[in-house]
Amino acid sequence: MDSPKLLREVDSVDTQLDVHMEAEHSTLSNGFTRTVIASAVNDHGNCNQTKQSTLPNGLRKGTRKQQDYIKISVPEPKNRLPLEWWKTGIAFVYALFNLVLTTVMITVVHERVPSKDASPPLPDKFFDYIDRVEWAFSVSEINGMVLVGLWFCQWLFLRYKSIVGRRFFFIMGTLYLYRCITIYITTLPVPGLHMKCAPKLYGDSQAKLQRILRLISGGGLSITGSHIMCGDLLYSGHTVMLTLTYLFIKEYSPCRFWWYHICCWLLSAVGVLCILVAHEHYSVDVVIAYFITTRLFWWYHTMANIQTLKSSPHNYLSRSWWNPVFRFFEKNVQTQVPCAYSWPITWPPSCLKTSCKSYSMVQSARRQ
Amino acid sequence: MKKVAYWSPKEVSSWLVEEGMQEYLESFQNLNGQALLQLTEDDLKKNPLSKITSDSGRHLLDKIETLKIEHHIEVHKNGHANGHLSIGINEGSNKNKRNGIPNGFRKEVVQIPMPQPERSPFPLEWGKTLVAFIYALSCFLLTTIMISVVHERVPPKEETPPLPDKFFDFFDRVEWAFSICEVIGMILVILWFVQWIFLKYKSIIGRRFFFIVGTLYLYRCITMYITTLPVPGIHFKCSPKLFGNWEAQMRRIMKMIAGGGLSITGSHTMCGDYLYSGHTVMLTLTYLFIKEYSPRRFWYYHWVCWLLSVVGVFCILLAHDHYTVDVVVAYFITTRLFWWYHTMANQQVLKEASQTNFSSRVWWFRAFKYFEQNVQGIVPRNYQWPFPCRPSFISRQVKYNRIDT
Repeated sequence: MDSPKLLREVDSVDTQLDVHMEAEHSTLSNGFTRTVIASAVNDHGNCNQTKQSTLPNGLRKGTRKQQDYIKISVPEPKNRLPLEWWKTGIAFVYALFNLVLTTVMITVVHERVPSKDASPPLPDKFFDYIDRVEWAFSVSEINGMVLVGLWFCQWLFLRYKSIVGRRFFFIMGTLYLYRCITIYITTLPVPGLHMKCAPKLYGDSQAKLQRILRLISGGGLSITGSHIMCGDLLYSGHTVMLTLTYLFIKEYSPCRFWWYHICCWLLSAVGVLCILVAHEHYSVDVVIAYFITTRLFWWYHTMANIQTLKSSPHNYLSRSWWNPVFRFFEKNVQTQVPCAYSWPITWPPSCLKTSCKSYSMVQSARRQ
Repeated sequence: MKKVAYWSPKEVSSWLVEEGMQEYLESFQNLNGQALLQLTEDDLKKNPLSKITSDSGRHLLDKIETLKIEHHIEVHKNGHANGHLSIGINEGSNKNKRNGIPNGFRKEVVQIPMPQPERSPFPLEWGKTLVAFIYALSCFLLTTIMISVVHERVPPKEETPPLPDKFFDFFDRVEWAFSICEVIGMILVILWFVQWIFLKYKSIIGRRFFFIVGTLYLYRCITMYITTLPVPGIHFKCSPKLFGNWEAQMRRIMKMIAGGGLSITGSHTMCGDYLYSGHTVMLTLTYLFIKEYSPRRFWYYHWVCWLLSVVGVFCILLAHDHYTVDVVVAYFITTRLFWWYHTMANQQVLKEASQTNFSSRVWWFRAFKYFEQNVQGIVPRNYQWPFPCRPSFISRQVKYNRIDT
């Protein structure tokens, strides 16, 4: 039968391999000992001889501790979450541009708002049930400022500030861009007779510019006295900020801070409710703002977190107009941004750490 | 290698030596292949064999089994259909044995039970489609009721003039534009319906259409109800308000449903349903579905539908029948919902609720799971003749033999 012969051949090949590996082990210091292999090839049936030749190599096992470790070149994993602060800069500029554009648009729209007597406030279900409360809008704006402050502090402590910041600026910028469009195309009348709108400046560009600057410097808030213009109703910018800061706070903070999440949720919900209670926006403004903000936030984050979507051809989410911009921002982000925190200011290492750098070679190679 | 049945005693001996069973050599000196095959355990238990064998013949019997299998393979070389080829058995002395073997191997086909593949990846589940249809119908009904309610609250034209709108500033009203829009809408709906009939997976796609349409009209109910926009143009002829007259309101609702909500049929005489535009929803949605579920190569067909859709939407604005913001918001919501739903349906990873899956945070996620749970993968664009009974020239049924039936 053929099989025993075949087995013997396989055995011999194995022996050859063993010998070969033995020789390789001692490559670094001793070089490749050809004699061993030669003897193996010549006489693969004669095990004793090969065993004898391998003994000197085997003895070298004792000296292996002093030998260099063998470096197996593994392709270096790229940094999966590169910081790329310049992209964050671009996103910031984009958001700033959209904010300024919104301000300009508010000024333009203000000129077209129909006067209160010509166009009375539109019927609104919420206004039918709940009468106006005067101080409610201040509550809403204070909530907004608190939330923005909290988000900013939280952002400072994130490790991957640049990535998260980039996302925030982009989403905010896009939401304000959409807002520009909707306030421009159709102008809703003022929601209540209590609204004090600044007089119209027909064609007085200088004064308009001053108003724009005033609005920007005041952050668009009525509390700072900067928001004296009317007409920017559909959809509500206050709702956008309240909702968006809450979504970001919740997303980028540890899960166990549930009390913190609930607090922020309460702040956000109360803020939005107060907008309506103050009769400062129609209900439809608030509802649409909530809808667009949440959808955009979830859409962006779904695309960013699920890596398979980025390359999948059946990803309809990539049909949005901002998909190329998204790809530009998120191309090199290869995993979900982890909930990691670090001190915002890093001290120079010499001040604090003791430099204990003398590790063994293996660890230094690994750290590379 | 010669067949075992033909072995001579000498070949048997050499086989025994090969297999390392030299102890049997003496006793099996005169054994030929035939007899070797017929050795049984009892034979080995009797004298003198029981004295020679060390393991009561186990090893030998195993080897003989192997030989028998080889032999069996040989005789069935031409398949079972021909029955057992009785080669060389007839030459044997034992006639009893000859009768035994043909009976052992029958001519029938042996049924090997295969585990049935569990389910088709695209189960039809018409029940779910019915649920979706009822949902869509109830949303339509709710919208109609809402329009009727909102109509009562629309401020009269004299009190609240039409709101300033950029499009209206640039384009003056064209009277017949709205009829064009509605005609286009009807064409698109009919095209989509015809296309739907020819789809293979009608139920799944129909389910999706009903669900999305229903949800869009539900959103529309909400936005129409909470804030009422004034009429966009002085040309509007709104029916008089029926303060509290339920019967007349019911009749209006019926009339509207019967007319499909179109002005062309004279059913839409009520005002106030502006934010957002239902006509835009239908035009956009039918186009999206037509494009999605038709072959890629029908690009001319896609272009024509796209053109129809765009012209229809433009005509809505041209007729000053809706504000621009109504149309923009309707387009936005329709496209987003459509793309969102289909992305979730096509990616398995998005069908489970998890921390990373933000798409699962929409309120309709449960309903989505109910509809799309058993659909595994992307629904292929397959078409089939809609009617169950094919004309005779189409079917070519060939009768196969028993194995296939």
